[in-house]
Amino acid sequence: MPKETLPEEFYRLMEDLQTIDFVLVELTLYLDTHPEDLEALKQFNTFSRRSRDLRQTIEARYGPLLQFGHSYSEYPWAWADPPWPWQM
Amino acid sequence: MSFSMRKTYAPYVGPYDPCPPIRVKSYDTPPQLYLGFQPPGLEQFPPREALRRGTLWRALYSPYENPYKPS
Repeated sequence: MPKETLPEEFYRLMEDLQTIDFVLVELTLYLDTHPEDLEALKQFNTFSRRSRDLRQTIEARYGPLLQFGHSYSEYPWAWADPPWPWQM
Repeated sequence: MSFSMRKTYAPYVGPYDPCPPIRVKSYDTPPQLYLGFQPPGLEQFPPREALRRGTLWRALYSPYENPYKPS
């Protein structure tokens, strides 16, 4: 993995992922108390699809986001390379 | 807007208070106190703005208004 700072696009994609995941958290909490709300449920599935696709795009370009099999790995095994979440 | 969710009360000030009395104290009442069970189909913020504001629902947005430094 490169030692110099990652391109601007990486940070933009990560912010988009954070935005989508925040909406998913809010919708999860809402759907816990409103299981019959079809509108919110459709929105939840749409956003979860967007989140999955975005995750795949990020991982294809910048390496795994999750571990223990939740993300594919590149060759060589390099999940421990920077940046770590707090270094981003 | 004149209506504010911040309520005020006047604490009792005793004659022997050593420090200068605080005559009016206030507390914030967030919207969920008035909302009860959230109705479906409430208006939402666009995702990016929702992240900035900290909530998806416009009705539940209640930022901290500093009573000591009215902006």
